[in-house]
Amino acid sequence: MSSGTKGLAAHSPGGGGVLDQSSFIDAQSLMAIKNLELRARLVVEGFWHGLHRSPFHGFSVEFSEYRQYTPGDDPRYLDWRLYARSDRYYVKKFEDETNLRCHLLVDQSRSMAYGSIAHTKAAYASTLAATLAYFLNLQGDAIGLLTFDETLRAYLPARHRPGHLRHLMLKLEQSAAGSLTNLAEPLQRIAQTVKRRALLVLISDLLSPIENWQKHLTALTACGHEVLLFHILDPAELNFAFDRAVMFHDVESGKRLFVDPVVARKDYLRKMEAHNDSVQSLCQGLGIGYSRFATDRPLELALFDFLRARMRRGKLVKRRLS
Amino acid sequence: MSFLAPLFLLGGLAIGLPILLHLIRRSSKEQIPFSSLMFLAPSLPRVAKRSKLEHILLLLLRCLVVCLLAFAFARPFIQRATTAPLAAETLHKIVILIDASASMRRDGIWPAALAKAQGVLKSVAPNDKVALYTFDRQIHAIVPFGQWSQLPASERIPFTQSRLSELKPGWSGTQLGSALTSAAETFAEADEQGQNQGSRRLVLISDLEEGDRLDGLQGYDWPHGLEVQIEPVQAKHPTNAGLRSISEPEATPTAEKDVGPRVSVSNSSTARREQFQLKWGSIAAATALEVYVPPGQTRTVRVPAPPAGTIRDRLVLVGDDDDFDNTLFLVQRDPEQVRVLFLGAEAAKDTTQPLYYLGHAFQQTRQQAIKLEVHASTTPPTDKDLAAARLLVATDPLPDNLIEPIRGNLAAGGTLLLAMKSPDSAVTIGRLAGVTGISATEAAATNYAMLARIDFTHPLFAPFADPRYSDFTKIHFWKHRHLETGSLTGMRTLAAFDNGDLALGELPIGKGRLLILTSGWHPSDSQLALSSKFVPILYAMLESGSGSHPPLAQFQVGDPVGLAGVAASGSGQPLTVLKPDATRVVLTAGETSFAQTDLPGIYEVVSTQPALRFAVNVDPAESRTTPVPIEEFERLKVPLKASLVEVSRQAEHSRHIQNSELENRQKLWRTLTLAALLILLIETWLAGWMARRASFQLEGAS
Repeated sequence: MSSGTKGLAAHSPGGGGVLDQSSFIDAQSLMAIKNLELRARLVVEGFWHGLHRSPFHGFSVEFSEYRQYTPGDDPRYLDWRLYARSDRYYVKKFEDETNLRCHLLVDQSRSMAYGSIAHTKAAYASTLAATLAYFLNLQGDAIGLLTFDETLRAYLPARHRPGHLRHLMLKLEQSAAGSLTNLAEPLQRIAQTVKRRALLVLISDLLSPIENWQKHLTALTACGHEVLLFHILDPAELNFAFDRAVMFHDVESGKRLFVDPVVARKDYLRKMEAHNDSVQSLCQGLGIGYSRFATDRPLELALFDFLRARMRRGKLVKRRLS
Repeated sequence: MSFLAPLFLLGGLAIGLPILLHLIRRSSKEQIPFSSLMFLAPSLPRVAKRSKLEHILLLLLRCLVVCLLAFAFARPFIQRATTAPLAAETLHKIVILIDASASMRRDGIWPAALAKAQGVLKSVAPNDKVALYTFDRQIHAIVPFGQWSQLPASERIPFTQSRLSELKPGWSGTQLGSALTSAAETFAEADEQGQNQGSRRLVLISDLEEGDRLDGLQGYDWPHGLEVQIEPVQAKHPTNAGLRSISEPEATPTAEKDVGPRVSVSNSSTARREQFQLKWGSIAAATALEVYVPPGQTRTVRVPAPPAGTIRDRLVLVGDDDDFDNTLFLVQRDPEQVRVLFLGAEAAKDTTQPLYYLGHAFQQTRQQAIKLEVHASTTPPTDKDLAAARLLVATDPLPDNLIEPIRGNLAAGGTLLLAMKSPDSAVTIGRLAGVTGISATEAAATNYAMLARIDFTHPLFAPFADPRYSDFTKIHFWKHRHLETGSLTGMRTLAAFDNGDLALGELPIGKGRLLILTSGWHPSDSQLALSSKFVPILYAMLESGSGSHPPLAQFQVGDPVGLAGVAASGSGQPLTVLKPDATRVVLTAGETSFAQTDLPGIYEVVSTQPALRFAVNVDPAESRTTPVPIEEFERLKVPLKASLVEVSRQAEHSRHIQNSELENRQKLWRTLTLAALLILLIETWLAGWMARRASFQLEGAS
């Protein structure tokens, strides 16, 4: 087990940290790398690289406090180096150690197969999931994987053992040729499957009416799970930057609709905004960390958001990188 | 260039259709996948900006096709100048006939009528022939054709206009039918004057009231080429009620019989008021009789006798809009004293004798007080008695001493009814007629005889001419005498028995006449006295008898008043009549008819003692002011001139026919349609070529 992380709290938005996005790997360049594991490692390393370049370098909060030794304390925790310097007995107090179980819930419905740029939402989501898995694996946390479309497709229980990460990467690399987006049933199944309290990271485009899956998401939080939601959207979905009136083909339902973007854009953006806002307010209400990602956004930022959300709940996992 | 169906040119607006189709961006068949359509709504095809119009040449060709088709459907043709020379200015003959009857006195009518006449005059060309007439009961020439022609051309219209402005409506009734036919005949007079060219138009300006008598128009053979143009004028107010006398008032009302005249009040069918009042004397009279007359109906009322001290000779109707016919003039006159002499020795109460029935037949009426005087041979009538008697009746042979006086009386115009109770009366007939050898025999006794041949043209039987009253078969004659009439020259058989014997004959003697009845009316001879026809026949004899006949008391405006009886009884002086407007009219010597009854009111013959009064009223028909529909004239086959609208419609129709013939000859639409087809072919080829070229380019690009 690792013993902690270093300096992550300094990167919270309230902490006044500066993130130089130009230093991150461009998402499209990253996605050009075929190997998912390699992609994940690049992101995580880049992430660390970014951290070291932060102006808060050297500020350490690796332990919670020092206090003077009092009889009855476990002598194992005496800091002998400090005793050597100061001739005082101090006890190094660590936060409680926990074994984090993290389940990555990756949407592989057909809508995730859409991409207006070089990569699809599904590829981006897989990379994000792999990155998180790699990162958590580095921290020594147990990682599980659930992929779903309208039902559960693949399930890897949360483990931390050699080869598990590779197995997980392989599962993620399998093509996302699912069917409809139906969050309700997968969420229900996940609640039944994941019994122990865990961190659930839901990566989805959430393109289904919110009222369909709202109560199941609520049920997940009610079970005591900590939930993080990465809302993956294509840039074209966010700005609807089409210019020609064409027949739009719904990749999920197969329906066709003649749409003139010039006429329909305003209405589309309004509805999209309303949907996103309601998702966001739902997450806020349930205490779910919410991050919206356009697929052209650097993945390192996803790690920042991930850790920021964890810190916000005061449950920052302290792991010392080995 | 003209068009037969110019409305089809509107089809050219369809040119907008290809332009619009070109403006609409073709909905692409291209599909792009999208993650979800849950935020999208279907869009309508969008119109491109004008600057983005594609395939201008195709568009132009398509627009051209639409235009050519619209042009072809509008059936164009090229109007050529008509080669026929314009008809020389035609001569019009126009008779303006203005109604000047009493009903034209209503409010607003006469100025409107004059305005219409002036309008006609203004449209008249100097070369036209115009005549101006007015009419009421008859037609009055104001400016006849002859006078118009004699005037210098420049003065004709001003002169006629000045004459027109002098006109005023009269008080007479209307004989529209005869006026129209008379006016139509004036054209014939003009033709006789050598002006038999040009069109003929009769302009009738009238209120066309219901009371206009149109009888004369039925079956009238209208001159060829004559057109009647009716210009109706309307009154400002629709309500008009009229008065008409039904019976004359009692001359000397007694306390028990204090009743006034019976009058009928009629209301026009277009009236808006129904409640009227009748007042004696004037509108200002205090007492009034309320009369309720619904529109279009007539009510007959008995007017109470006027209170003492009020004017009794006129009754005023109050409550309608027009007052020209609201005063009814009444003259109360004592019954005329009529003397009938019966020459014979019969007892007046002997029911088996003719005298008894004669006495009962001649009852006193309101107009006549008949005095039947019986003169037996012992009391022969004097010459004065004979002269005063209107009718002499004898049933027995006359004594010799009476023959000559009676002959003299007959020669002077008297009437003798001789009922032959016995064949002996034949001698009297012979002596009165101055013929010898007249004999009569008792006719052969059959069951009974009936009147078979009756001369209904004679005044005695004229009242029975109607088939409803002409049945004389119920009068049975048990006995009659067979009179040999061969030597009686001038004998007119008024009725004959079914066996051919004379029943009633008229033999003129001098100015008078001898009526011979070959039977009697007493029960032993016949049932004549019991018949309902007996009294009318006797009265008819009395009417046609000699003696002075005072004129009737009631006349209508325009009626001639016969004053022969007055003149006869007078002193031979010329008669003087005082008119209601206080002018005096002196009739020339020997003139016995007064025709100048042109005003309603009380007239007085002042030259007699006592003065004879008679009332002249407006024709009651004038009160029926509801207009006659024009269709009534059409029904009477009046050659009505089409109205201006009709004329223009006909002209339009004929022009349309000419145009369609012209278009039919030119057939420009065929050329245009062929051109449209050709352009369509070119367009199709061009569109195909462009599509192919585009696909080649695409293939080349790919």
